[in-house]
Order: sequence, then structure tokens, then C-alpha cells
Amino acid sequence: MSQPAIAVRNLVKEFDLTHSGYSSLKGNLLWWRKKRKERLRAVDDVSFEVRPGECVGVVGKNGAGKSTLLGLLARVYKPTSGEIHLSGTVAPLLELGAGFHPDLTGIENVYFNGVILGLTRKQVTERLEKIIEFSEIGDYVDAPVRSYSSGMLLRLGFSVAVHVDASILLVDEALAVGDIEFQKKCLARIAEFQANGGAILFVSHDMDAVRRAADRVLWMRAGKVYQDGPTEEVLSAYERSGENPPQD
Amino acid sequence: MLSELKELYRYRELLWTFVVRELRIRYKNSVLGFFWSILNPLITVLVMTVVFKYVLNVRVPNYSAYLLAAYLPFMFFQLALLDSAQSILTQLPLLKKIYFPREILPIGSVIANFLHFLLAMGVFFLYLLFVWWMNPGENPFRATVFWLPLLVLLQFCLTLGLALFISALNTFYEDVKYLVSVGLYLLFFLCPILYFVEQVWAATHSPDIPAQWQDTLFTIYNLNPIGMLLVGYRKLMLDPQPITVTRTGDVLETHYLPLDWTMLAIAGAVSVLVMVAGYAYFNKVKWRFVERP
Ligand SMILES: Nc1ncnc2c1ncn2[C@@H]1O[C@H](COP(=O)(O)OP(=O)(O)O)[C@@H](O)[C@H]1O
Ligand SMILES: [Mg+2]
Repeated sequence: MSQPAIAVRNLVKEFDLTHSGYSSLKGNLLWWRKKRKERLRAVDDVSFEVRPGECVGVVGKNGAGKSTLLGLLARVYKPTSGEIHLSGTVAPLLELGAGFHPDLTGIENVYFNGVILGLTRKQVTERLEKIIEFSEIGDYVDAPVRSYSSGMLLRLGFSVAVHVDASILLVDEALAVGDIEFQKKCLARIAEFQANGGAILFVSHDMDAVRRAADRVLWMRAGKVYQDGPTEEVLSAYERSGENPPQD
Repeated sequence: MLSELKELYRYRELLWTFVVRELRIRYKNSVLGFFWSILNPLITVLVMTVVFKYVLNVRVPNYSAYLLAAYLPFMFFQLALLDSAQSILTQLPLLKKIYFPREILPIGSVIANFLHFLLAMGVFFLYLLFVWWMNPGENPFRATVFWLPLLVLLQFCLTLGLALFISALNTFYEDVKYLVSVGLYLLFFLCPILYFVEQVWAATHSPDIPAQWQDTLFTIYNLNPIGMLLVGYRKLMLDPQPITVTRTGDVLETHYLPLDWTMLAIAGAVSVLVMVAGYAYFNKVKWRFVERP
């Protein structure tokens, strides 16, 4: 069997609740008043593998550690302990408009996003036509992004992400927005990406979307992988548990 | 540290894209773009010149040239530090999603401001040539102007090092950017921009001050690296200013203060040190930026 696209072993990520993060100077100068340091295990001894061509859904209630797990795979966080092996490049699907500057045009933002995802400027130029076509935003590409609807932002962002030739795609609750037509197109594109050997890890609270796209599901609970198995098996247990937050 | 530098080099295209983006954003919102941002220091200097020449009766030939020679580098210093202070915080949502060397953000802010500064210096040179063309006589530049690139490089190092410190600290403590803007405001008056270092020499060597302290005081003044670099800009480019020490109305002496190369070398060494320290500090804490809740 081929090498896994993602291999995670005994992965742990702890956050330092009292010490890390944003605080005022005053708060920091009064350090002696602080309670003992509290550590929070957002990801707790997680191990799993994802094969090339596989699409894995990640479910779990809010605070279960899904986003932290994806952040670790995207190298945003340094693991506290454990190992991550990735074969190939990773493309996280950016949050709505993250990395987009409202005053710049769609095209200018595509360049920045493409290069951040690992393309050269030349490669972006070569793919520009395709990216714009896929996003279906037409002449708006020359308008400042501030005039875009959230659906347009999502389409442009997604379009860049799927055109960077990454072998691993990370999606964190981003597909929930956008019209049905475009969602279908995304799913088709994802299937194509899989057929070419791309691996996908995607977090979603939309059970229907998970059913349609995922080959396998990880159910996370309090930082741990609580269940890992075939989609239908895990999802029916998950739905019975009532942990999934209600959809709007 | 070497591996961090290699990683940064690997991401050079992103750095460049970021710089281009910064400049685009800056010049986008106005039709005149670049000219507006050049106009700003020119108008400021014009007003200062009028005030100093005609209200305060400062009798220095070509005073605006001396102002610009120190004001433009200081503007670069100030704008780069203020921009980079916010650079990490404003991009935090992006940082939480995707990896790239975090130092690209403050370095990009400094480079964008640096390119702007170089353009402004180009305009300043045109201005000097214009003045020379209006009243030809002596060469508008001194021969030492060839040291300028080194000076510019040292100022870049100092600015970059401080930018790395400030951008990292501002991510953890929200008060830092306020301290920085107040600090820069005070620094503007502590540096020889509106006045001349020769006047500081005269003040520290006034008879009110015990003789054994006079040189020490002046040395302490020149230990401020950005101030000393500004002295360098003036003295390398423009004619020296005479110091006239008057005592109860009688002119006692008139002489010229040469550029103190030792103090300039110290300022240069401090600049390089600040850059190395800033880079090391930034790399040490950069993984914690995204961990603020
Ligand atoms: N930067 C941080 N500092 C401290 N705690 C954090 C930080 N980021 C996330 N957490 C905590 O880690 C846990 C997991 O969060 P997250 O991965 O966002 O969950 P999910 O995406 O499954 O809703 C939560 O309890 C959250 O409060
Ligand atoms: Mg989440």
C-alpha cells in the first residue's frame, strides 16, 4: 500500500491558559496575583492516518479540538508532543475573506492568496484564467473585494485553494455558505481532486454534506478521537448522541 | 537562526508579494498616489521652514535642505515602526489558518516604507539640484555623500530590529503601540531634526555646566543611535554648520564640528546588534502569536 498522505501519532497540543495570549501590560505586571498555571489539552493523544485519495470528515461538538487539529496539520501551531508526517503540500481553505484586503481587487487578492498557499507569482499568472472562471465572479475580479458578497468571497477563496495543486486539503466549516449550485460544483471538484490522489480532511456540522463527501469520519470528543470508522457507522452513533450543534 | 533565515529565503516570493501589496494599498486610495505621500513631508518642511526662518529668525542658509536631510529618514523610522507594530495583530485571522514565516509581516512593512523612503530621498536630491541650479556656485553635494548607502543600510537594520521587537510585543501587550507612538513623538524632539547638533554642542558646553561634564553630556546625547544616524545624514550630505558661541554679546569663537566617526560607528554597531537581537527574539516567540485566545 502506498504511503499515507497524513500520518499523525500521539499528537498532543496543550494551551497555556494563564500565560499565553493577549493581556495588558498591567495584567502582566501583576503576575504575582495570578493563580497557578492552567494547561488545557485541546488535542489529546490523537493518532490516525489518511490515505491519498481519501476524504475524511471530522465531527464533534464545539471545543472538541477540531480546529486545533487542523491548525496543527497546517503548521500553524507547534505540537506539544507527538508526530505529524505529511507527504506533499498542504492547502488550508482560508476562512471567508481571510487574507483578502478589502481595498484591493479580486485579482490582486488572488495573487496574494496564491503565493501564500505556495505558488509562485508566475504560476498564479498561468492559472489566473482558470481560477476566475471557476469562481464565476466574472467582471467583478477587477473590482475591490469590499464590494463582494460573502458568497463571492467564498467562491474566490475556494477557487484559489483548489488550483494550487496541493495534495492535502484542509477545510474548516467553510463550505456552509454559498448557494447550492456552487456547493455542487465544489463537491465535484473535490471528487476530482480525490481521484487524482488528493487527501481531504474536513470539519463540518452539516451531516448531509459529510454523508455525501466523506469516506470515513473521525468523531472528536474533548480532544480525543472518540470514534474513527466508516461514515454511516460513526455518523449514526454521533447523531444519536445529540452532540452536533443545531444548524441554522 | 540559520535555518530560520533559509526558511525566510524560501518564502522570498511571498515577502515580495506582501511588499507590493502594502504599496498598492497605500497608493490606491488616492488619485495622486505617490505624490500625496511625497507632498506630505514637503509641505511639513515648508511650514517648518517658514516658521523657523521668519518667526524664530533662524539664520541658516538653505535651512529646508537641513530639515529634509534629517526629517525624511526620521519619517521612515516612524512610519515603519508604527506600521509594523500592527502588522501581526491585523493579520491574526490569517496566521491562525495557514503557515508562513511570521516575520514576513513586520519585515514587509519595513521594506515597503523603506522603498518609499528611497523614492523620497530621490525627490530630495532633485530638490538640491534645483536649489543649485537656481543659485549655482558650490557643488550641491559633499564628496562624503558616497557614504550614504552605508548609512541608509545601517538605519534599515536599526528600524528592522526595532520593528521585530515591537510587532512581537504588541501582539502580547496591547499597550505597546501607544508607548511606541508616544516614544516616537518624544524622540522627534530629542533628535537633531528641527535644530542642529552644533546647538546641542553649544548648550552642553555652556559655562553653566561644569567643565568636566561637558564632553560626557554631549557624548550621552550622541549615544541615541537614531539621532546619531540623523547627524550622519546631514554631515555626509550637506555643508557643516558653524558654531557661534556668544557670551554676553561678544562672539567668542566660531568653529566647525566635524562628523564624529567613532560615535557614528557606535550607532552603526548598535543598529546591527538591535537587528540581530530583534530577529532572535521574534523567532523565539513567534509560535505563541496564534495561541492568544
Ligand atoms: N489559543 C488558544 N488558547 C487557549 N485555548 C484555546 C486556544 N484555541 C483553542 N483553545 C481551546 O481549545 C479547545 C479546542 O478548541 P477548537 O480546536 O477551536 O475546537 P473546535 O474547533 O472543535 O470547536 C477549546 O476548549 C478552546 O477553548
Ligand atoms: Mg472550530
